[in-house]
Amino acid sequence: MKISVKINGKTVERDVDPRMLLVHFLRDELGLTGTKVGCDTSQCGSCTVHLNGEALKSCTFFAVQADGAEITTIEGLAANGSLHPMQEGFWEKHGLQCGYCTPGMIMASVAFLKKHAHPTEEDIRHGLEGNLCRCTGYHNIVAAVKAASEKMGG
Amino acid sequence: MSLIGKSVIRTDAVGKVTGKTPYPSDVNFEDQLWMKILFSARSHARIVSIDTSEALAYPGVIAVFTAVDVPQNSYGLIMPDQPVLCGPGSDQAGADIVRCYMDNVALVVAETEEIAAAARDLIKVEYEDLPAVYDPYEAMKDGAPQLHLNTPKNILCHYRIRKGDMGSAWQQADVVVEGEFHTAYQEHAFLQPEAGIGYIDDEGRVTVLVAGQWTHEDQEQIAHALSLPLEQVRVIYPAVGGAFGGREDMSVQIVLALAAYKLRRPVKIIWSREESIKYHHKRHPISIKAKWGARKDGKLVAMEAEVVGDAGGYAYTSTKVLGNTNMMVAGPYEIPNAHIDTYAVYTNNIPTGAFRGFGGPQGAFAAEGMMNRLADALGMDPVEVRRVNLLTDDKLAIVGTPMPKGVTIGPVVEKCAEESGYWQRKNDTFERLPVEQPADPAKRRGVGFACAFKNVGFSFGAPENCWGTIEIHGDATIEKVVVRHAAAEVGQGTHTVIMQMAAEAVGVPMEKVELIASDTAFTDNSGSVSASRMTFMAGNAIRGAAEIAVQKWKDEDRPAVGVYQYRPPKTTPYDPKTGRSEPNFAYGYVAQIVEVEVDIETGHVDLIRVISANDVGRAVNPQQVKGQIEGAVVQAQGYAIMENLISMEGRILNPYLSTYLIPTVYDIPKEVKSVILEYADPIGPWGARGMAEMPFLPLAPAIADAIHDATGIWIDRLPLTPDRVVKTLRENGIGVAFS
Ligand code: FES
Ligand code: FES
Repeated sequence: MKISVKINGKTVERDVDPRMLLVHFLRDELGLTGTKVGCDTSQCGSCTVHLNGEALKSCTFFAVQADGAEITTIEGLAANGSLHPMQEGFWEKHGLQCGYCTPGMIMASVAFLKKHAHPTEEDIRHGLEGNLCRCTGYHNIVAAVKAASEKMGG
Repeated sequence: MSLIGKSVIRTDAVGKVTGKTPYPSDVNFEDQLWMKILFSARSHARIVSIDTSEALAYPGVIAVFTAVDVPQNSYGLIMPDQPVLCGPGSDQAGADIVRCYMDNVALVVAETEEIAAAARDLIKVEYEDLPAVYDPYEAMKDGAPQLHLNTPKNILCHYRIRKGDMGSAWQQADVVVEGEFHTAYQEHAFLQPEAGIGYIDDEGRVTVLVAGQWTHEDQEQIAHALSLPLEQVRVIYPAVGGAFGGREDMSVQIVLALAAYKLRRPVKIIWSREESIKYHHKRHPISIKAKWGARKDGKLVAMEAEVVGDAGGYAYTSTKVLGNTNMMVAGPYEIPNAHIDTYAVYTNNIPTGAFRGFGGPQGAFAAEGMMNRLADALGMDPVEVRRVNLLTDDKLAIVGTPMPKGVTIGPVVEKCAEESGYWQRKNDTFERLPVEQPADPAKRRGVGFACAFKNVGFSFGAPENCWGTIEIHGDATIEKVVVRHAAAEVGQGTHTVIMQMAAEAVGVPMEKVELIASDTAFTDNSGSVSASRMTFMAGNAIRGAAEIAVQKWKDEDRPAVGVYQYRPPKTTPYDPKTGRSEPNFAYGYVAQIVEVEVDIETGHVDLIRVISANDVGRAVNPQQVKGQIEGAVVQAQGYAIMENLISMEGRILNPYLSTYLIPTVYDIPKEVKSVILEYADPIGPWGARGMAEMPFLPLAPAIADAIHDATGIWIDRLPLTPDRVVKTLRENGIGVAFS
């Protein structure tokens, strides 16, 4: 099936197998390997991207469903070479160790902040419940999101 | 200004926050093929035949490999007791037998992953079932099925500690407590499932790009199985998505190398989460029967323990893990009389091996459980009962020899109590303050204490060393400093710390330092990232190398190159009869206090606050040290109260993150207070000790103590899941009024 998707600001048209998951379309067809796969049951959130500005676990979605949509992946977050405040937050606050959860965590956090400009710690904990991290114990991730929200005028 | 003690931001952070850093699954080659593994369908059976004809005929299939294709069909980290591929036709005795479900039987290589998977289903394996055994106690009985030649009763190892005179010891005790502790499996659940790619590099070397913990050990095991000289095998680690001990043994390394070697084409594999959970080793479930005795004043007089660990089908690192438990089961205490027997036992379950703490958490669960019970029985404060017994530089460890100098568990325990807010110090005595109870009668709060020690580096006579190379480039002034070091960056931050230490050792700013790492083609052996050893070992290697390089620089050598192998003081194995040994050259010390809220209606245990006091010797990078403490605490929280891997007759029933639950951000304690103490290790680089495992050890026993404080009930079986807690409370008459 032919689809047309705007990915990180660029329109791409491709013929895809109707069973192809969006995450595989991004990783295997387009080489956008910043989006990760960590599970088979839509538990971990490593594959989180934005679909029309909303967070989406791209392993739960077919590529064909994204036809006509706008998608942002971690590769498209840093505008003109400077880090997004959320990326800066994770960088500064040691919000990562192995980094495998990080792209999904950052994408989920950016989408979350759009809806909660002034989040409390409790809000952040609720908001990121769908993203697993096995390394950090999450405290620095929460701190990173908090720092980013403040930087973004929250 | 010194770089040691500075929270330098991770050197790999930008790549990781922008998604640019490649992990093994992100690397692709133009002409790559895909592999799928056929695993065993039996827990114990002889493979009579394997018919691969239909699979081979499937369009797109390039090759199918079985046991006959493996040059030397055996591997293993401490002993090569596992076939690379199980099946008939290989010259390795016993290689036709599968001993657990994670045994590999055949490899299918095809044009795409889907084709490889479809063809795998067409392989016909004829099994002849063998009697199986799943309980280590059963496996040790006469007449139990024997899994390996030369291992009667399936006893892989048996350690003894015989200290003092047990005949008279118990008579000196005013109080004796007994307990039976059972710990459970734990799955590493690193976020990146196993993946890798095997290929032939430009110099004709069989190369595997993979995630692991010790490049040179992977290289050695691949070379062994392929019967190749070491220099014809190369191992490269790109970014590694977590490890925690779970990548210490082989997963996809050898099979990728084999396929690339045979086909001369790149071959890639990615395991699903299900495959990851089903087919790599786990933390050992260990049963410990313990008996401890003390005088009225709290002084320990004797302890006794029987420790039985389920090794599963193959050795992995079981002899080392149980070696650790054998010692840790006595805790960081001076005990004049002791009698310990420890066994690692083969069964037809999934193999068990390295996982953060390496036998220490299981030992601590029993040792601290006993200490807390003693405190209770004696009517003594748990901190005070420790203070009477803790090891010091002048006391003998349970193995009958002095500890390495710099024993600081005493001050660590005191600092933990002081900083916690739950204790107050009065005339040099610690007193627990009462904890406020919630209004809801179904909710009860309690506070618990535990402490622990953990070795840094390889133990019991295992060869221990670490190479490092420093090159100083420039002419009149230093332009750059290149460090070569094999340490695997698994997320712990070792590459950043190595660069910090190199810059400090040479005396240049960090911007001038370049690191070449994690590739056997460019670095010497640095040992594994395990046993909390890398900062300690790499730091000493780098200091040695820098000293040589700086001298050469002064002597006008350009570039000035220093190569150094650090060797720590020698350790010795257990004496087979008494257990006497010099087991380790360094330790890290930790104490934790937790507050929990137990819902006596549902059995839910909410971990509210954790205070973790850790002697790290010197925090080279305090922010990273704090990150390790928080990460270890939450992983241990999972271990203690959430993570419940279910194995039935050797088969894992919940191999998904939807059924094997690890902590989410919503589960974690409101506060993890890291108390970082810096009592220098006399032989640590800049005084640093290892620290990343230690905060894992005391958490489970501290939680069990807090549950007892809240409810009056001891629960000695992990995990402390709601169903277990509620059942135990009901059996003890608690919560009945609400049911
Ligand atoms: S890969 Fe785990 S949620 Fe998508
Ligand atoms: S940093 Fe490793 S999983 Fe989050």
